[in-house]
Amino acid sequence: MLVRKIKDKLFIVGIATLTFLTILPLFHIVFSVAVEGLPVLLKGGWNFITGTLAPPDDGLGGIGPAIVGTFVLTFLASLLGLPIAILTGIYAAEYPNSLLGKATKTLLMIMMEFPTILVGLFVMQILVVPMGSYSALAGALALAIVMMPYVAVYTEEALRGIPKKYREGAFALGLTRFNVVFRVLIGLARKGILTGVLIGIAKVAGETAPLLFTAGGATRTYFEGINRPVGAIPLLIYDLVQQPYKNYHEIAWGASLLLLIIFLAIFLPIRLSLKEVKL
Amino acid sequence: MVRMDKFKTFLAPFCGLVFGLFILMLIVYLTASLPIFEREGLAIYTTNVWKASENPQKEFYGVLAAIYGSIYTSVLAVLIALPLSISFAVFVIDYAPKRLKEPLMVATDIMAGLPTIIYGIWGAFVLVPILKEYVMMPLYEHFSFIPLFSFRPVTGYSYLSAGVLLGIMVTPFASAIIREAYRSIPYIYREGVYALGATRYEATKVLLGYIKPAIVAGILLAFGRAIGETVAVSLVIGNVFNINPSLFAPGYTISSLIANQFGNAYIYKYMVPALFAAGLSLFIIGLIVNLAGLMYLRRFKYAR
Repeated sequence: MLVRKIKDKLFIVGIATLTFLTILPLFHIVFSVAVEGLPVLLKGGWNFITGTLAPPDDGLGGIGPAIVGTFVLTFLASLLGLPIAILTGIYAAEYPNSLLGKATKTLLMIMMEFPTILVGLFVMQILVVPMGSYSALAGALALAIVMMPYVAVYTEEALRGIPKKYREGAFALGLTRFNVVFRVLIGLARKGILTGVLIGIAKVAGETAPLLFTAGGATRTYFEGINRPVGAIPLLIYDLVQQPYKNYHEIAWGASLLLLIIFLAIFLPIRLSLKEVKL
Repeated sequence: MVRMDKFKTFLAPFCGLVFGLFILMLIVYLTASLPIFEREGLAIYTTNVWKASENPQKEFYGVLAAIYGSIYTSVLAVLIALPLSISFAVFVIDYAPKRLKEPLMVATDIMAGLPTIIYGIWGAFVLVPILKEYVMMPLYEHFSFIPLFSFRPVTGYSYLSAGVLLGIMVTPFASAIIREAYRSIPYIYREGVYALGATRYEATKVLLGYIKPAIVAGILLAFGRAIGETVAVSLVIGNVFNINPSLFAPGYTISSLIANQFGNAYIYKYMVPALFAAGLSLFIIGLIVNLAGLMYLRRFKYAR
């Protein structure tokens, strides 16, 4: 009996320790990014947000083009991806037992797990090579492909979560299926769909791999058109970390803090208003 | 009846578009990698050479080192994630103080969604020096006769660094799946086990047996995530063509190989097809692992 009791105590202490170890990196990451990034933001001031990249070993400059680029890319990706994703989600919810409906659900789950670097390579081949240049459009297309499954799956689940009686009531009024879905059900599911949209946006705003060979990156010029290369905060960090210059590492930390703040500003309100999220 | 069909035909093309994109992606990978298969056959996957040359006659590519590195680091990641994610799930559902439950879950959900580049910069500037100083050097100095620890950790960029970073990144993801499954165990089972006089340890062992398919699913999907991860890994793996059993040796993964080499690949005749072939292998490994994971998850949900 004593052995069993000791084992029991050890077990509780053990899993509590491992739980602590699981979340420890998060605190270490947030702490490191804040400690390294905050002085950079304070020293760089307003110019860090609006200015362009400094030369190697010469001050901080700013990451304005990357910030503008991230917003442009996220906006364009939403424009391309959201309508298709939401309509696909509606199909999967409305016809869950049809062959296409079932296959779509499986495909969406696979696309959620799909390595994002492969999406970037794919877009490079079909868009960047024919156009002959990296472009905001190519970056946005890659991000749209990454974003779609999240939005579609959230839309599907939000619609399926609506009690049957609303649907029956709407049909009983003599509405067509189109009107039932778009006038009644979408309204009821709006919170779930909006969550999906925001999760998708939070996800792609922080993506790097799909942009490597599509957006091209720009550090000294702001947005010049959708057929021109554009920067992005994650892409800039990735490039700067690999440079040997000390000031570039500082800029990378500052940019990381900014990215972390943007991410938390979108993600935390969603997470706190819900019980669970899918990432 | 006719109206319903109209709605379906209005929506179907959008599903078709998503399918079309995915199939187009597979076709692009197959056709873009074709030249390298015609030239080298399967040697692209079974050899470890990387000879880039202006003269196409002299070019030869084999990505075995990258495939090896991808599997090595992802297995490490899963080995780290397995105990952590199960412990986390059990603790947070059954034993954590009530006030701590929600904050703990929020913390892991943030970790699951955190931009991977933030893991990357933290990994390269913070984690690698820590691992090198406190893990690799002591183990190398005292146990270098064991092959796992036999490589002198010069820079710290290594399979181990990548594996640990990936483990940290995929643990919250695996634990979210296991957590949901563990939560869903009907209450009578818990009551039944305790009524038999089981301790908490014994009860948990029994209950974990009940959600075994979900644990397998969580681990498979975590493996899929780990193998596809790019930027964080490429900042800590060292990016060297290397097949070494030692944890402390630098290497390559498929995704970091693509990230590193693709930028200048168009100068050479066969490098682009070689990288697409590498991508194709990642495509196929990822597809198989994730499909298997989803299958296990579905089996668990239906069995319930």
